Amino acid sequence: MKGRKTARPAPALRDLAEELVAYARSCGADEAEVSVVDGYEFNVDVRKGRIEALIEAGSRSAGLRVIRDKKTAYASSSDLERATLRRLVRNAVRRAELGNPDEFAGLAPPAKERIEAASLNLHDPSIAALDSRTKIALARETERLALRDKRITNSYGATFATNEIRSVLALTNGFIGEYEQTYCGLGVGLQAGDTDHRVEDSWSSSKRHFKDLESPEEVARKAVERTVRQLNPRKIKTRNVPVIFEPTQTSWLLGFLFGCVTGTAVYQKTTFLEGKLGQRIGNERVTVVDDALIPGALGSHPFDSDGLACRRTVVIDQGVLRSYLCNYYAARKLGLASTGSADGGGVGPANFYLRPGPGAPTAEDIVAGTKTGLLLIRTLGHGLNSVTGDISRGAFGLWIEDGRIAYPVTEITIAGNLGRILETIEAVGRDLEFLGPIAGPTIKVAEMTVGGQ
Amino acid sequence: MGDGKTRAHPLKPAAPLPYVDHFGLSPSDLRAVLSLALSSGGEFAEIFMEHSTYDFINMEEDIIKETAEAVGLGLGIRVVRGDRTGFGYTNDLSMDKVRKTAQTAAAIARGKAAHPLMPPPLRDRTSRASRYLVRRPADKASLAEKIGLVREAYDAARFFDPRIVKVKVHHSDSLVHICIANSEGLLVRDTRPMVKLACVAISEDGGKRESGYWGSGGRVGLEFFRDVRAPREIGEEAAREAIVLLGAVDPPAGEMPIVLAPGHSGVLIHEAVGHLLEADFNRKKTSIFWNKMGKRIGSDLVTIYDDPTIPSYRGSYNIDDEGTAPRRTLLIERGVVRGLLQDKLSARLMGGAALTGHGRRQDYSHWPIPRMSNTYIAPGVDAPDDILRSVRKGFYVASLSGGQVEDSGKFTFSVSLGYLIEDGQMTAPVKQATLIGTNIDILQKIDRVGGDLAFGLQTGTCSKDGQDVPVTDGCPTLRIAGMTVGGRS
Repeated sequence: MKGRKTARPAPALRDLAEELVAYARSCGADEAEVSVVDGYEFNVDVRKGRIEALIEAGSRSAGLRVIRDKKTAYASSSDLERATLRRLVRNAVRRAELGNPDEFAGLAPPAKERIEAASLNLHDPSIAALDSRTKIALARETERLALRDKRITNSYGATFATNEIRSVLALTNGFIGEYEQTYCGLGVGLQAGDTDHRVEDSWSSSKRHFKDLESPEEVARKAVERTVRQLNPRKIKTRNVPVIFEPTQTSWLLGFLFGCVTGTAVYQKTTFLEGKLGQRIGNERVTVVDDALIPGALGSHPFDSDGLACRRTVVIDQGVLRSYLCNYYAARKLGLASTGSADGGGVGPANFYLRPGPGAPTAEDIVAGTKTGLLLIRTLGHGLNSVTGDISRGAFGLWIEDGRIAYPVTEITIAGNLGRILETIEAVGRDLEFLGPIAGPTIKVAEMTVGGQ
Repeated sequence: MGDGKTRAHPLKPAAPLPYVDHFGLSPSDLRAVLSLALSSGGEFAEIFMEHSTYDFINMEEDIIKETAEAVGLGLGIRVVRGDRTGFGYTNDLSMDKVRKTAQTAAAIARGKAAHPLMPPPLRDRTSRASRYLVRRPADKASLAEKIGLVREAYDAARFFDPRIVKVKVHHSDSLVHICIANSEGLLVRDTRPMVKLACVAISEDGGKRESGYWGSGGRVGLEFFRDVRAPREIGEEAAREAIVLLGAVDPPAGEMPIVLAPGHSGVLIHEAVGHLLEADFNRKKTSIFWNKMGKRIGSDLVTIYDDPTIPSYRGSYNIDDEGTAPRRTLLIERGVVRGLLQDKLSARLMGGAALTGHGRRQDYSHWPIPRMSNTYIAPGVDAPDDILRSVRKGFYVASLSGGQVEDSGKFTFSVSLGYLIEDGQMTAPVKQATLIGTNIDILQKIDRVGGDLAFGLQTGTCSKDGQDVPVTDGCPTLRIAGMTVGGRS
């Protein structure tokens, strides 16, 4: 169980991608796009001090888009035998014939600019060099530290995981690009309380660089704090109050917002923000940015799946909707420019975040400035409707009285509307941290319905 | 598409056995790999091989916008010693890579082999009988025929009402060949078809916009869309929901009596009961049910089963992903906890509990864990109309979009379309509500159960530990005396 010292041979992937592009053209495709991904995964789960599971695996896959007579067909495979891939290319060219012409189908013109992958610092070579013993010890230590707290009554276990990924993209327009990236993560899940009154929560840290990862002490401490603060909850009566979102909660709200600002959702009319470009959709506290160029950040990447250079896009500027996020296809349909957001057949986020303004308050200030309200700490369920912006989810929180956290509350729901939330954000905190590619600080919303008894 | 089966290794001589055709590995190869997997002291080793083909059609904006085809090939090797699992997977099926994967998985055991290294000879236990009733296999049908189904659903939605402004229809079908070999001498195969046709319709009226969803399918052939559910109905139902929602009001907030429509409301049982009776959560004592076996936790009107053997349902299978023949499993009998959904690991660690055939995995790159299949609450004796009439003021759940549960028993489910109940009648339609409760509390409050058991849309997917598997849920009309509705006021 030694660390892996050698990188995988790269030229083979690049050659395969270029060969398939050429083959697609020889089969009659007007245009073709081939992506090849080579990944290596390590995962260890430790529970109650014992290794529960150890996964180590390498895997490859290829994806393909062909366009013929303005008709598009896709294919993908985890079988990289040449015969299989060639058959998929031939099938795709043939299948494209059965589709309908789409005037907007086609590859983007070759990118004018290129981002150097190296400048984004996406790859940490020290991850491949970590030996299994070190990785197992990290998970074990994290759980051990968490279980020292006597209020913790059970463990879901701790996990340490790494991923090393090499991606290659080749297009008939001459584009060929590739980059390597790494991820690592350390987390633990816990329960507190006796059998019939359990509460649960978890914490994990996820980074591209091993040195940036939170220590076992930090991960354990946060997981314990998040779990035990929910002990002995009360139920409350239904009422309308201000709701403060912790950063973990702001991030799902922003994930929902992301789905509402993609060009795809706009032309499909599945977003309430369709037709709102250039208009005020929130108050001046709301500035949302999607930035692919933050060095070392989880959502950074040099080019998108259209082969276009990634960039920084201001989506909402002080409440005004400035840009939808588009791949080349959605941009053409809407008469806009691509934002370099192509992700497979759709649109994906880079680092999509709500930006704290100058002089933003701390989370503590925001709580202290709230007479009565709910600090939202966890949600359950999926009640998000992008067509209307409606939100309705199960929730757990801490009740605030006179600017102080009074007691935990359980079995409640929160209901509101994203459009209304953007208009009535009363505070955007300064505690922005990229826990994932979609992130936001603590925010306070003027009023939502908190459903209870 | 029309090319039939693929061989992973064209250089190997063709053999008459299907698993050799798909995976290029003979029974003696597999036995040698299992032996290697056990070489550092593992007690159990298993090879799970998978070859899948998948077709997809997307119609939107009045055109067949794109089609897609996917091929999946790979194998996962698992080695178990005590409560420890080592796992590796590869999609390079050369003997060299397969052996390396076996060694990786074997590393978990880190000891000396305690058993004879060579596992018993592999005996093929594949049954000839299949519960996937398919007359016109989707993988053999032409793309043109499938496009015909898509267009029928699309047009039905598009022209249902002038207020329908956008429609999207997806067709997908897949055929998955699996082969499982383990160190107990088991060798077994299954070939699993799946078809799904689903429609989203967007309605618009006076600046208001809503969406409706409907779909159907299962482990069926294309005859299903002629004999059981016409594509036209799928389009119309999606459009109808989108139109009804245009006139919907915000949900009420607070605790009130709930009536669940038969069919898809089974999501409630899936979340409130099914997950927490999966054996792993009970073995680890994280589930609120871990110490409740044989104890009363709900009203005596509540009897719940999980049944992977229902012919052609989306959640059904001939064997589970560990090769165990599944059986209908009683979970709750008249309010009393009677059973768990088991996989091999949990059954062994729980002192040799009987297998139920519920070890499932998303694909070869994951190992099996206890999962649900088709979960339902058994029918009662009440007439559905009587149940509705019994509620003076409450909430009727017509259509659900999903749910979630945590081990404490707190669960939610999301209602995409509901109705107010006033004086025993359904009145105004209601949009986007979330219901929340604690399972034991809610199971005790189920006080009327109808005789009209039905299953949901045959399009559902359940997620657990990052693994997605197809499932269905069923329930008859039922009443919950009081549950919290998360509305706006």
